[in-house]
Amino acid sequence: MRGSLTLRVSLAFVLIVGLSAAGLGWYLYRDFVGEIVRRDDIALRGKLRQVQQQLASPDAQSLVRDHPQYFRDTMSGQENSLVRVAAPDGQVLLDINAPGERYPLPPAAAVEQGALLAWTSRAGAPGQVVSSMARLGGRQPVQVTVARVYADRTAMFARYRQRIVLACALAAGLAGLLAALLLVRGLRPLRAIAAHAALVRPGRLDSQIDSADAPSELRPLILALNAMLVRLHDGYTRLSGFSADLAHEFRTPVNNLLGQSQVALAQRRSPDEYEQILASNVEEMERLSRMIDSMLFLARASQEDVVPVRTTLALEDELGRMAAFYEGMAEERAVTLRCEGGASLQADAQLLRRALANLLSNAIAHARTGSVVTLAAGERDGWTELAVTNAGAPIAAHDLPHLFERFYRADTARTAGAGSTGLGLAIVGAIMALHGGRAEVRQAPGAITFVLLFPSLQGASSHALHQG
Amino acid sequence: MHILIIEDEPKTGDYLQRGLRESGFTVSLARNGRDGLHLATEEEVDLVVLDVMLPGMSGWDVLAQLRAREATAQLPVLFLTARDEVQDRVKGLELGADDYLVKPFAFVELVARIRTLLRRAPARDDALLCIGDMEIDVIARKVRRQGLPVVLTAQEFNLLHLLARREGQVLSRSLIASQVWDMNFDSDTNVIDAAIRRLRRKLDDPFPQKLIHTRRGMGYVCEVSA
Repeated sequence: MRGSLTLRVSLAFVLIVGLSAAGLGWYLYRDFVGEIVRRDDIALRGKLRQVQQQLASPDAQSLVRDHPQYFRDTMSGQENSLVRVAAPDGQVLLDINAPGERYPLPPAAAVEQGALLAWTSRAGAPGQVVSSMARLGGRQPVQVTVARVYADRTAMFARYRQRIVLACALAAGLAGLLAALLLVRGLRPLRAIAAHAALVRPGRLDSQIDSADAPSELRPLILALNAMLVRLHDGYTRLSGFSADLAHEFRTPVNNLLGQSQVALAQRRSPDEYEQILASNVEEMERLSRMIDSMLFLARASQEDVVPVRTTLALEDELGRMAAFYEGMAEERAVTLRCEGGASLQADAQLLRRALANLLSNAIAHARTGSVVTLAAGERDGWTELAVTNAGAPIAAHDLPHLFERFYRADTARTAGAGSTGLGLAIVGAIMALHGGRAEVRQAPGAITFVLLFPSLQGASSHALHQG
Repeated sequence: MHILIIEDEPKTGDYLQRGLRESGFTVSLARNGRDGLHLATEEEVDLVVLDVMLPGMSGWDVLAQLRAREATAQLPVLFLTARDEVQDRVKGLELGADDYLVKPFAFVELVARIRTLLRRAPARDDALLCIGDMEIDVIARKVRRQGLPVVLTAQEFNLLHLLARREGQVLSRSLIASQVWDMNFDSDTNVIDAAIRRLRRKLDDPFPQKLIHTRRGMGYVCEVSA
């Protein structure tokens, strides 16, 4: 729904302001009405007193008898009060009632208390009546009743009510409109973000969204989006680096295949020679095949597309299995394999073996003839460590930080041989990352150790205890 | 045994046909899905090797059709794919394929899997294996040649046992690594070669009759004749 946030908030504003204004208006109206009524009642009482005083004058008695219109003119007043003066026996001495209204006479109790009684005129307007005793001429006791009709008042109240309702409606409408305007303006940064997002493309991931003008509430969003762009950019760079690296690395083996085959075809060769060349080609192509598999594995691992299947492994067994596997190869280089220590580990068995195989293969290849290659397992500082150590020529300091990079080959005489893909250590690194651990190289005089560090099982099991 | 290959890539189709024929199978080759389906139903075929990337009718559709028709519903199908994403493999198996291979694959691997699917890959479970002048006592884990004991390490024995009980079948290095040492990844090939060399030194070198043979580019085989 387009602009639904703006619409919703604006409607909410209309509702809030409408209700508040209505509440306020109602309160003020009732206050006003009450005040007016109170004043009218006071005035009515005042009129009653005035009439009482007028009747108390000495010549009032005779005036009532002989010149009643005098009282009519003076008593009724602007308010058209209806006045009735009656003797205790009921005889009406004076009755000023031009419109001829019928109003009730307050009962004795009301007369004593001086209470006002409400009544309704013939036309339906509200009125009040009050009664009291007085002394005509100061001597004769009479009952004075004064009544009034408040027709104007009703109309005035109605008008007042209408104005209040109108004001509320206007206020609510205005509030809604203002809210809408403010929101539209306030949400402009979001449109800016959307516009920026529309520009983001694989080749243009390195631009960041500007957060300088954005309101503070949107800043976390912008920061998160920028961080996301950085990660995407890194990931994308890595991926395109993969394809470039792979293509580059393929050149040499493909060149060998091409050259070898072309040279072979240049002249008639014996069947044995052809067989040899073909077999050599097969080896090279198997190497390329392994390279493809390794690269795909690395690509998937970096996308976290590989899920390790963890089981509990006893490291003495795994190290023993590794040593047995490499028996033959070690013997041919007159290298002795030795296993030490043990621990328990939660890891993917096949991935662990692959990592260890890569390390052990390197260690045997680079070990000094006749030396010992050690496989050791143990716990240290909350990590389970698997260390492969061999004695041999040291690695140059400037090579050490790059060893785990794809296709990195140190420029000393450590060319790994025809079977190498150059990805062995990169795969070790990826496997360790998948397990939440890491791989390290430690150098000591005359010995080089590659270490696999796995998060310790003790930490994991206590975590599992908490969760279970 | 009659194998039907459905593969559109000319070189692949040709070498598969040639290789399987030379391995002792009767082979028919179809270069697209429709022809393949036609051949599968018209001829007596024992197994289908199916490439999933086919022009026109895709390999998946062919597979689905094979399974839909009563005549071919039980026909063993091995599919070849260049994509080793999990979803592609699972899709094939769910559609009813029996096995798969990811390209590039070792040809020996294909033959081994075909033989397994056709139940033509007997692994001898005998307690006593006799090949040439060699006797293997599987229970006691002892080997004799010409009556003389040959001392082998546990690993060497396991390796020999694998080759011996699959006598005559060429086993690829990756299969050997997987079966003997449970290493299911493409490991350093030298390891297997070195292990075989060691085995040979003890088993073959002292005797005139050689039993462990290298098939260059394919793997190793244990048999009497070269």
